[in-house]
Amino acid sequence: MTPEGGAPPRFARGVRFRRMDDGSGVLLVPEGVVNLTESACAIAELIDGVRGADAIASALAASFDAPREQIAADVSELLDAFAKKTWLDRPEPAAT
Amino acid sequence: MIAPRPLSLLAELTYRCNLQCPYCYNPLDLGAYRDELGVETWERVLEEAAALGVLQAHFSGGEPTLRADDVCRLARKARLLGLYTNLITQGTFLTDGLIAQLEDAGLDHVQLSLQAARGHGADAIAGATVHEKKVNALQRVARSGMAVTLNCVLHRANIDQVDEIVAIAEAAGVRRVELANVQFYGWAFRNRSALMPTREQVTRASEQVAAAQRRLEGKIEIGHVLADYYERYPKPCMDGWARKFMTVAPDGRVFPCPAAAAITTLKFENVRDRSLSDIWNSSDSFTAYRGTDWMAEPCRSCDRRETDWGGCRCQAFLLTGDASRTDPACSLSPDHGLVDAALSADGASAPWTPRRMRSAG
Repeated sequence: MTPEGGAPPRFARGVRFRRMDDGSGVLLVPEGVVNLTESACAIAELIDGVRGADAIASALAASFDAPREQIAADVSELLDAFAKKTWLDRPEPAAT
Repeated sequence: MIAPRPLSLLAELTYRCNLQCPYCYNPLDLGAYRDELGVETWERVLEEAAALGVLQAHFSGGEPTLRADDVCRLARKARLLGLYTNLITQGTFLTDGLIAQLEDAGLDHVQLSLQAARGHGADAIAGATVHEKKVNALQRVARSGMAVTLNCVLHRANIDQVDEIVAIAEAAGVRRVELANVQFYGWAFRNRSALMPTREQVTRASEQVAAAQRRLEGKIEIGHVLADYYERYPKPCMDGWARKFMTVAPDGRVFPCPAAAAITTLKFENVRDRSLSDIWNSSDSFTAYRGTDWMAEPCRSCDRRETDWGGCRCQAFLLTGDASRTDPACSLSPDHGLVDAALSADGASAPWTPRRMRSAG
């Protein structure tokens, strides 16, 4: 299950990303507050229902000094983890 | 020690309820909470909570929608303060109009409970003919697009219906299910022998939950609250006393845990008299069991002391009369025999006492 080619992810109703005063970020979800790592925050902040996974990776590659393939893999991994928790609205992956 | 930042406020607007569930964790002396905080005071509580760092406000009871206008007003207020807002309801008053008002107020999430999967049994647990109405409310909330969790408290009389409960959620289009084994506080503690599932029931239900979690991954998130009497280690209750959570009861008293009123050796402060920040940071009841300094053995030297925080203070008090003891649910507790005794008691034919506002006590 990869986001490439899928519709741009957005947070499901009942899930909100929030930046804290100290710069850290959390996901507010029905079951509580999920602390995010800095790199997860950078990705979560770009989940807007407009950018696809590729666009998110490109935006991050422009601002972070890391190989684009590595960033794309991180984005894909985080989106998959969020999707498994039902925190994203994303079309069904095409059957393979 | 320096107080940590609270994350979550449980706002219990009223203990009134039209249902009589025998597993309710509300206190037995419900009548003592009739002098409810007014909506302006609740607004101040929300402001003080947000200033303290709280991120989520959960509106509960009793049945909070018995104060429907206030719930909408407080949800709106909480959203303006940047809080995540959750309504915990049994759903019998969720008209389309109220759903629309809640959505308009910016409510983030609804947690709606069912008593069981089958109507007749569910109504027997609720003490009222409400099951069909509640399933209908669940479907309408889900259809509205609002985020909704279907919650069901599992116990001897319904724990064999896990698959059917999940099927109701699937059919309604719900994204999240919470299957919570009954925890023994309040009315549930009083009705413990009637509600206690057998080990075979718990094992079978856990297998069914795990299978449903695998089957529905990515579609429905299924949370599972374990039956702590059957576990080896206690639950990390509230993630530690006064570390993340606080509850404001209908009368304005503030508790580190929704079941803490049962601990009669502590005096709990009231938001009518003191600010929430004072109570959180420095009241005797909140500092009593915060952190690990209060612990005795076997917790004090245990590797798990900051994993499960000694288990549950309320459970320690209910079972031993001393809230500072290790939770007897822990297999390492010197009082664990109390739990074993409760499990070996035969409750198959025990009647339960329905939750009532006026109780003989």
